[in-house]
Amino acid sequence: MAIVQTKNLSKVYNPDTVPVHALRDVSISIEKGEFTSIVGPSGSGKTTLLNMLGGLDKPSSGSVWVNGKEITSMKESDLIDFRLYNIGFVFQHYNLIPVFTAHENVSFIMLLQNRSKKEIKERADELLEEVGLGDRKNARPVEMSGGQQQRVAVARALASEPKFILADEPTANLDSTSAMNLLDIMSRMNREQNVTFVFSTHDQRVIDRARRVITMVDGAIHKDEYQNVEETKTG
Amino acid sequence: MKIIAAIAWRNIWRNPARSGVLIAAIVAGLWAGISVSSLSNGLIVQRFNNLIEQDLTHLQIHHPHYLAEREPWMVVLNADSIFLFLENDERVRSFAGRVLSDGIIQSPVTSTGVQINGIDIQREPLTTNFHLNLSEGEYLDSNLPNPVIIGERLAQKLQMEIGNRVVLMFQDTGNDLASAAFQIAGLFNTSSRVYDERNVFVRAEHLNDLISADAIVHEIAVILHDAADADSLTAQINHTFDEVKAETWYELSPELRYMSDFGNSVTFYVMVVIMVALAFGILNTMLMAIFERMRELGMMIAIGMSKARVFMLIMLESVMLTLTAAVGGMLLAWLSVRYMQRNGVDLTVFGGDSLLEFGFDPLIFPFILAADYAAVTLLVICTAILASIYPSIKALRLNPGDVIRE
Ligand SMILES: Nc1ncnc2c1ncn2[C@@H]1O[C@H](COP(=O)(O)OP(=O)(O)OP(=O)(O)O)[C@@H](O)[C@H]1O
Ligand SMILES: [Mg+2]
Repeated sequence: MAIVQTKNLSKVYNPDTVPVHALRDVSISIEKGEFTSIVGPSGSGKTTLLNMLGGLDKPSSGSVWVNGKEITSMKESDLIDFRLYNIGFVFQHYNLIPVFTAHENVSFIMLLQNRSKKEIKERADELLEEVGLGDRKNARPVEMSGGQQQRVAVARALASEPKFILADEPTANLDSTSAMNLLDIMSRMNREQNVTFVFSTHDQRVIDRARRVITMVDGAIHKDEYQNVEETKTG
Repeated sequence: MKIIAAIAWRNIWRNPARSGVLIAAIVAGLWAGISVSSLSNGLIVQRFNNLIEQDLTHLQIHHPHYLAEREPWMVVLNADSIFLFLENDERVRSFAGRVLSDGIIQSPVTSTGVQINGIDIQREPLTTNFHLNLSEGEYLDSNLPNPVIIGERLAQKLQMEIGNRVVLMFQDTGNDLASAAFQIAGLFNTSSRVYDERNVFVRAEHLNDLISADAIVHEIAVILHDAADADSLTAQINHTFDEVKAETWYELSPELRYMSDFGNSVTFYVMVVIMVALAFGILNTMLMAIFERMRELGMMIAIGMSKARVFMLIMLESVMLTLTAAVGGMLLAWLSVRYMQRNGVDLTVFGGDSLLEFGFDPLIFPFILAADYAAVTLLVICTAILASIYPSIKALRLNPGDVIRE
């Protein structure tokens, strides 16, 4: 069964004034353990699609299914709760709570899930270690580089143990070293822990690391192909 | 919950200047509000105590029509059994019978209308502290044959001094005109000029002898241990003795009634005005804080923070900010009230003379109850909550999909 699936998904912004067809009849299916990149020119609908997959926006028609459950018809409050337990997010900007340290940011989502104190602390420590920030636990976002902040965001997304993680241009604001480093972490999690990632990007080097590449043009799926990836080892 | 409180608290200090300005405004508002209303209360409490202790007492007993018609024959019937009753009631601190008459005081220079108060020189000083107002000369226990005490200002008007003779004219119980010479034993000076010009004091038995062959009283003044017992005791007296009418200070003195009602509302209105001003300050600060953090709030909703928690976050932020300031404001107010209670506030500079005219002491000691601080705290919290409702709704309307996009 697909972990996330869309059926004839369309989205029209401003239907009554100047309609913008951001998504046209998109049907995709993503299986557990996939490492998928969504690419395409600016304005092609990548963000719109990811928002739909994450239940952050409602489609104009069609449906989104997560783990066999239709989320498009859910009540907003149920949907928020559903996201908390099922979907991890890494955004391009404003990922972290600025008044919280790295450790608190990772703990936060688990606190929202009402997990036990001990589990939260241990898991946050462990995850920060895994993304290479074991020594930056008590740093606040302003005290960290963009790459470090994105790694905290990945750790946070992993912390909630979601079914899959959505990342909209996670590397867009990073220099190439940091971008590759983030990709290394994501692909390692994917390989070692079978975490499903769906991310959008413009960056060819990032695209090269994806095993599945979905190309969008003008709101529709233009190409959907699997490619061989040369695994790089990270330290 | 704890985590939400932690975010809220730290958010307050993200913009120290903005939060600081609001805190300063709340501190100043509460300080001013509490100081002003404690002074206004002090003024009223002082006046209240003055009137009650000096003359009015907590309750008085008269012939049912005496206060309206003031006829000399309208005396308290069965006064002896009422005295006995009062003697045995433990709520009563003390009481005194008074013989009263409306009359005229005459000096060689001029004459003027006065109330002649015949007082029991044993019991009256136990019941009221009028005797403390004696500014010159002797009290009514003087050896002079027919002693009278008059106000300093009346003495000036009559151009009389201690030892001089004045003539008092009044009606007896048979409504015949009577008059007698009295010798000025002492002068008094209360905080009310009007009172000082309108009242003279003689010994009850002297006045009694001049207006009636029987032992009479027109008024029994009763002072209690606790003012709060006035209503119940009054009701009991009226029930037990149906030929008299007992009334509490609240019924007897329109001035006190008005002040007591007004005093309670002054604090209230001063606080309401301050709270309305604060509400706008809080509203503005919270709105700015939220507009500035739209993306962050959107992100929190996106990753799964419920709207109830978002609402809580904003409420807590506003309540914590306001409470911090309220604690500061009340501490400052408490300190200045304490200082003023020690030293008093002299209102003479602000036209205290005219206060004197109305019987207010120009040296004011503020008065505030612990319960008032509690009420203010509650009011501040309510204001903070009310003022944050609109900003919270703004935050709840956020659509995370829109906010996340750039
Ligand atoms: N809230 C909105 N109202 C109207 N039009 C919108 C809105 N959001 C997106 N669009 C339009 O929908 C289309 C798809 O936008 P989307 O952001 O999904 O593209 P994208 O592929 O993510 O682009 P980019 O690479 O620049 O991030 C664009 O034409 C955009 O202008
Ligand atoms: Mg985009």
